Amino acid sequence: MTSYTICVFTENSIGILNKITTIFTRRRINIESLTVSETERKGISRFTIVIRSESRDAVEKLVRQIRKIIEVLAVFGYLNEDIAYNEIALFKVSTPIGAKPLDIETINKTYKAWVVYWHLTYVIIQKTGTEEEIFEFFDYIKPHEILEFVRSGRVAVSKSPQTLVDYLPEAEWEYYQ
Amino acid sequence: MGFNENQTATIQGSEPVVSVAKPELINGSHAVIQSLIAEGVKTIFGYPGGAIMPVYDAIYDYQDQINHILVRHEQGAAHAAEGFARITGEVGVCLVTSGPGATNLVTGIADAIIDSTPMVCIIGQVASHLLGTDAFQETDVMGITIPITKWNYQVTNADEIPEIIAKAFYIAKSGRPGPVLIDITKDAQQKLMTKPFVHKKTETLLSYHPRLAPKEDQLAAAAKLINQAKRPFLFVGHGVQIAGAEQELIRFIEKTDIPAASTLLGLSSMSVDHPNYMGWLGMHGNYGTNVLTNQCDLIIAVGMRFDDRVTGDLSRYAKQAKVVHIEIDPAEIDKIVKADAPVVGDAKIALEQLLPLVNANNHAAWIAEFKKYDAIEDEKITQPELAPTTEKIKMAEVIRTLSDKTKGEAVIVADVGQHQMMAARYYQFKKPSSYITSGGLGTMGYALPASFGAKVGAPDREVVAIIGDGCFQMTIQELGTIAQSGLPVKIIILNNNFLGMVRQWQQLFHQKRYSFVELQNPDFITIAKGFGIDGHTCAKREDLHASLDTMLASDKPYLLEVLVEKEENVFPMVPTGACVADIRLE
Repeated sequence: MTSYTICVFTENSIGILNKITTIFTRRRINIESLTVSETERKGISRFTIVIRSESRDAVEKLVRQIRKIIEVLAVFGYLNEDIAYNEIALFKVSTPIGAKPLDIETINKTYKAWVVYWHLTYVIIQKTGTEEEIFEFFDYIKPHEILEFVRSGRVAVSKSPQTLVDYLPEAEWEYYQ
Repeated sequence: MGFNENQTATIQGSEPVVSVAKPELINGSHAVIQSLIAEGVKTIFGYPGGAIMPVYDAIYDYQDQINHILVRHEQGAAHAAEGFARITGEVGVCLVTSGPGATNLVTGIADAIIDSTPMVCIIGQVASHLLGTDAFQETDVMGITIPITKWNYQVTNADEIPEIIAKAFYIAKSGRPGPVLIDITKDAQQKLMTKPFVHKKTETLLSYHPRLAPKEDQLAAAAKLINQAKRPFLFVGHGVQIAGAEQELIRFIEKTDIPAASTLLGLSSMSVDHPNYMGWLGMHGNYGTNVLTNQCDLIIAVGMRFDDRVTGDLSRYAKQAKVVHIEIDPAEIDKIVKADAPVVGDAKIALEQLLPLVNANNHAAWIAEFKKYDAIEDEKITQPELAPTTEKIKMAEVIRTLSDKTKGEAVIVADVGQHQMMAARYYQFKKPSSYITSGGLGTMGYALPASFGAKVGAPDREVVAIIGDGCFQMTIQELGTIAQSGLPVKIIILNNNFLGMVRQWQQLFHQKRYSFVELQNPDFITIAKGFGIDGHTCAKREDLHASLDTMLASDKPYLLEVLVEKEENVFPMVPTGACVADIRLE
């Protein structure tokens, strides 16, 4: 199974997520992760959708069918090597009195993770990285008892020098200052 | 749906009621109608109900400009709009209420998307403050119709109406046509617009750019393959009719001398008399066209999508052939069959621009191969069916006699099943836009309302619906619509007291275990008479000519029931999972 990242640029209006996901449902493709936010231009949303597939052909068909949605401005399918990508994870880790203390230096220097909230009996650690890096850290911190763990969807930007402006009409969209 | 306003009506009681007397600021409902008029709409197929009542109140004032046709069930409105759209090429318009009114449209919308039929459905919705509260006759129509519309949109503000309706018509009609649904809340229909009504037609959209003119390099690549081919074979799809490319197609074929065959929805785009017309493709298509699909060296597919009913077993479909695929929808390229030379664009423009790039040619020897298969099919199937020695009337002879009597120039609207295939096989189409049927969805009950819609769209043409006894009972209530309009739609029921196509499959593939396919039918003629429609039952071959003559001579709607052989099968046939070359003649 290969991981594909699909970036969908759409008008920002009600119901677009539904219009996009119905195409995945029809083709029985599971969504591994999904992130949606407005882009640098007002009124344009960016969906970053990660799927796994054995067939590049199937992904190409999916991409073309997503493009048919009227509100969709552009769709790109990427392999991992085509993009810079990251996820963010939060770990709520138990630190009861008397337990072995956390090795904050290793957490910071080796794992590039940061404690973002201290409580008397637990801490919340934030880790940014790829899925693999996050799970490496997961394995490291597991002995301390993970009370809660949450991972965001992937965000990704293509390594290609082209920008959205190369695909979309420039003048119509207002940039954030 | 029925009028029941106990929950929603009072809430809007304080809204201003607007009369037409102040045209500078109109309410949403008047904006709907004025926008429809601005888009050139003259006919609406609809059914009133609670959530759409403000628009119905507005229509009352515009009856001199818009002909509203009251159907008997919303599905009938959808199919009538489809029939209208298919024959005129214009957008068919439906107007219905929320909840069950909307859900009753769903089958027709699904039919329209798969058969690329332009349609705008305007639907009432509960008032915006009630959305999501399970209000009376509230359904999530937006959610339901996402997968079956080209575009859908919910209007909650009267000011949006002209722009959204303009956008709806542009999207429905342009590119690959399809159905668009606009869900308008009752308060948006009732409220005054805050600015003067202006309707400006949509000409372009930011996120939607159908490609009409193909890229030059794609045309060049296609022309190169066409010029190199020794045994090229052209497939005429529905896209030819949609693009109005019939003339361009003929010019292309006459210059290149390439043999052509049609898909089900491509039928009538070429006259059966044309020397390069080889027949029909697919499951019940002709013998030669199917067998030689696997012997040609190039397929030129024009405006078609390689439906599984055309290809049979894909793993053994035309593997030897290169493929030029002319298609307006880029998502169809490589979807089923890999294209060696895709040409994305409008069929008319593509054929026009290809013409100077292709060489004049002569394929007489290749065309003669089709004729050999034709002779076999003629002897084994066609002649026995057209001149039967059995007692009962066969479907084929009804269709061919009708074809002869109408000189191949009628509009045939076929329902779904054996009679649909027989109509496609035996009617000898001479004029474009003459075969209307539910191809992709295979919607039983399509033909009666669609034939009515077609007659509304083309009142000067003879429109004949060919319907099975099963299909007829699915939308039989539309006899009321036809009777009320008085339009002379001619209806032929080919009655075999069976769900014939399912019975055929049960006979061939399920050891003749006839599971729930036999029908005890009502007296159709009495029913028609109850609606005020004349009819006649033809039970004997001797009576067939006279019966058809009487039907065709009538200047009113007419129902002709023909009692046909009970267990007749449609052949040739490519059974599901078989290869086109293994087409069965018996």
